[in-house]
Amino acid sequence: MNALPNPLAQRAVRADGALGAPVSGGDQLARRLARRYADRITGSFVQPDREGRYAPLPGDMPPALAQALRSRGIEQLYDHQAQAWDATAAGEHVVIATPTASGKSLCYTLPVISAAIRQRAKALFLFPTKALAQDQVAELLELNQAGDLGVKAFTFDGDTPGDARQAIRLHGDIVVSNPDMLHQGILPHHTKWAQFFENLRYVVIDEVHTYRGVFGSHVANVLRRLQRVCAFYGVSPQFILCSATIGNPAEHASALIEQPVTAITESGAPVGEKHVLLWNPPVVNPDLGLRASARSQSNRIARTAIRAGLKTLVFAQSRLMVEVLTKYLKDVFDNDPRKPPRIRAYRGGYLPTERRAAEREMRAGQVDGIVSTSALELGVDIGALDVVVLNGYPGSVAATWQRFGRAGRRQQASLGVLVASSDPLDQYLVRHPEFFRGAPPEHARIAPDQPLILLDHIRCAAFELPFAAGELFGPQDATPWLQVLAEEGVLHPEGGRYEWIADSYPANAVSLRSVADGNFVVVDRTNGRQTIIAEVDFSAASLTLYEGAIHMVQSTPYQVEKLDWNGRKAYVTRTQVDYYTDAIDYTKLKVLEAFDGSHAGAGSAHHGEVHVARRVAGYKKIRYYTHENIGYGPVNLPDLELHTTAVWWQLPQRALDQAFDHRQQALDGFLAAAHALHIVATVAVMAEARDLQKAVGSGDGAWFATPDANGRAQLRSSFGETEAITQGPFVPTLYLYDAFPGGVGLSAPLYERREDLVRLARELVQRCDCRSGCPACVGPVLASDEQGDTALKSLATRVLDLIIAL
Amino acid sequence: MADNLRALLGVRQRAQQPVRRVAEPVALPGRTIAPGVQLSESVESWPPMPAAFDASFARIAETIAPERLLLFDTETTGLAGGTGTRAFMIGVADWHEGRFRERQLLITTLGGEEAMLDCFASWLRPDSVLVSYNGKSYDAPLLKTRFRLHRRACPLDGLTHIDLLHPVRRRWRGVWENCRLATAERQLLRVVREDDLPGSEAPAAWLGFLRRGSTGPLHRVARHNSQDLRSLGGILGHFVAASEGDLVVAEAASLATGVVGQTFR
Repeated sequence: MNALPNPLAQRAVRADGALGAPVSGGDQLARRLARRYADRITGSFVQPDREGRYAPLPGDMPPALAQALRSRGIEQLYDHQAQAWDATAAGEHVVIATPTASGKSLCYTLPVISAAIRQRAKALFLFPTKALAQDQVAELLELNQAGDLGVKAFTFDGDTPGDARQAIRLHGDIVVSNPDMLHQGILPHHTKWAQFFENLRYVVIDEVHTYRGVFGSHVANVLRRLQRVCAFYGVSPQFILCSATIGNPAEHASALIEQPVTAITESGAPVGEKHVLLWNPPVVNPDLGLRASARSQSNRIARTAIRAGLKTLVFAQSRLMVEVLTKYLKDVFDNDPRKPPRIRAYRGGYLPTERRAAEREMRAGQVDGIVSTSALELGVDIGALDVVVLNGYPGSVAATWQRFGRAGRRQQASLGVLVASSDPLDQYLVRHPEFFRGAPPEHARIAPDQPLILLDHIRCAAFELPFAAGELFGPQDATPWLQVLAEEGVLHPEGGRYEWIADSYPANAVSLRSVADGNFVVVDRTNGRQTIIAEVDFSAASLTLYEGAIHMVQSTPYQVEKLDWNGRKAYVTRTQVDYYTDAIDYTKLKVLEAFDGSHAGAGSAHHGEVHVARRVAGYKKIRYYTHENIGYGPVNLPDLELHTTAVWWQLPQRALDQAFDHRQQALDGFLAAAHALHIVATVAVMAEARDLQKAVGSGDGAWFATPDANGRAQLRSSFGETEAITQGPFVPTLYLYDAFPGGVGLSAPLYERREDLVRLARELVQRCDCRSGCPACVGPVLASDEQGDTALKSLATRVLDLIIAL
Repeated sequence: MADNLRALLGVRQRAQQPVRRVAEPVALPGRTIAPGVQLSESVESWPPMPAAFDASFARIAETIAPERLLLFDTETTGLAGGTGTRAFMIGVADWHEGRFRERQLLITTLGGEEAMLDCFASWLRPDSVLVSYNGKSYDAPLLKTRFRLHRRACPLDGLTHIDLLHPVRRRWRGVWENCRLATAERQLLRVVREDDLPGSEAPAAWLGFLRRGSTGPLHRVARHNSQDLRSLGGILGHFVAASEGDLVVAEAASLATGVVGQTFR
């Protein structure tokens, strides 16, 4: 299997001297790591290689296309590609959910090109990113050229020059775009695309697993608008969707397009052996139960792999961590500035040209180590890799496999290592490898009828075509939304129709990716320059661009000198420091209105609307490598406020007085219980961890509680002010809330499952192997707190017992 | 549901403000030719045009008789573009029996749009030559979209179109401060508009009528549109005279069309 010597391995060894023997595959590295770090590896398993299952090229394919495939070396199809061909030929909507690199794109390319050749039928392709769209067009053009098929494919996105647009609208057989462009650039100008729509036969949507949560809910509404416009032109195109492995591909695809969908989930592609290691950093302070950081471990594993000549990709959870890990690897491998860099960072926020350059270098094999955010989780073509290291659990089993799927060559074993961070979810998973191994991939969920998202899209839809009174938008009667829009003055009701009359272009005010929009640009002013070096989205700006922040680009540190909040600009200068900065932020909640409520044991559970204010109060300076805290700085930025929906639990003072000696105890218990509930709720609804948040405070917003460094509750009456817990009425409230304006539909199902959740949280706490509490159940605890019935674990149990329905 | 939405949006107070219909004694411009459509017509004398002129100043290799010309200008609900912007007034002028005829279509309900478009289309002949100012990029595509939305073929497609903005730009870019219609008419025709409703206020005037029934500003929109049409005629006359090779005539034409502004109602 490893008959071919790996030339890169030899080069690596030469360059680094005698640093480890060359390893020719992920299997050998896995064995070596397992031998040396047995105590850190909590789980290890192997996915055996699998032979491919093939089917002949379909006989009903246009001969020119079959010829083009053969000339590119494709003599037969994988089983799932043939299935997709048959299902699309039968007129079904199809979703193909097979692993990374299983040849999904042929599943839609073949029917689309056939229809273009035979009937000059048109197709619209949607990819979540421009980079993927460009890859796809390149691939289509190659196939087209190979068979001289005469099929014209173009990308149509924000980068498409104005003079090319008209030609694309008229002559494109396949237009490759993204949901944002469809939303802002195509649908509001659909009359210019009349000819395209009249002949539209296929809509292809790739990477549909990324269309979940808020973004997915927006995309589902854009698809409603697309189908509404298609109906105007008298067509109902067939949908072909592709997804990474998720638990509910058919259901999710069908939720997106609101039509029945046939799912194809068995891949016929061959795969090489894949080794997986679950890695828990070693305990460095047994008294405190502190473990070494994930980044130190990921760094070590990546170093070992790269030295062994294996192409390695490290996934980090944040842009900051991408830069920190890149710096660590560059310090080792890129210390000679005369040589081309072997380590590359890849994340959102870089300028497109820089990202394209990184992709090219990776494909060409010039890069030995890549550090990326989830940006590389998708099908961006970066060539084959040997090792994937996850610096922290990505938040879902599906995303973990998707990322591991980045490693794997047909003929060689690959390795995936999940390095647990101190995050409780990570600790839970790494200590329960059976959970990870046996877990079915999560379900993707959307809430397209979330009222504010719906309002945004009914607004845009009314701009595109007038609404008739009583017209349905999705399954909803649009009338109430139309009335609100008429009151706002943008629609005019007349003769049973609602028509757009405002002088505005509503799609520009609706961003699919996040509710608050307005990107910040980062401007480098070093030595009088005025160069834009990065973009940061609105939601991340207050956490990364406060004055004094160290902002890193390809691990080069820049210091933020000035933040122009209204102008959405951050001015930075190049700096030399041995630390990075991390924001300290606080969140405060207030109940506005309860939609529903019920008894929950001795207390009550509710579902309703809350007001959330988030403030970045300051930042910490953290020294590289030692990770010690070397200072603080203040931050003065406007609060981020949002109205959203939440589920919350409350206990009356009387019940608390009986169960706890004093308020501090009760509050510690609430924080600990919140920790456990948040873990089980996140798993239960497949929330992105950041989509669902937890908090403990008083129901009226008078105070809120955060854990101090010892894991004990600290009460704050307003941002930053700590306060005693003895005064006034005391109704602590435990919240789980949607972290989006208006909510995105996570809290309603949580409310429905409230009894389950409390029971699951209680089980989690009780069955946890720790003595008195740990990050995997109720949060970290001090050794000195580990005695008896005031341990967090027991306090959390007491709170959960009080709110458990009997 | 709607209440819930309003609560989320905080639009409740605004919604409760009663809509006041202002009772204005002023009638609508023109006469009603179909439900929701008003037509105003006027005919005036005009400096004579040659029997045919060479349109090469507009880079059109054709000799054109003035009877074929159809000057047009729209007033719209805004500049946002896309399918949500409509023309609520289409003004058209031509040389009819040797005199300058203006016809303005105005919709007073959204439902009148279809009839307005059909009426406009009926004025066009296969050999019509369109004349506009920036109409190739603005008015024509906008009308094309409206015809499309009403499932009609666009009658402008395939017609010869003289967009005077382009010859004006070619000739006077860098000479005048800009090449807007207001500048061109002032420089070439000595037109000074008094009490003119700025084009940017036209959308609000029409919405004011739609929501509150106030007709006053609609008359100002009609006057503004009418002046646009006359200026189109004057600027065209200037190019025609100049292309006849007679600069004196061109100058005279300019002076003569100076009347255009003064005879303004």
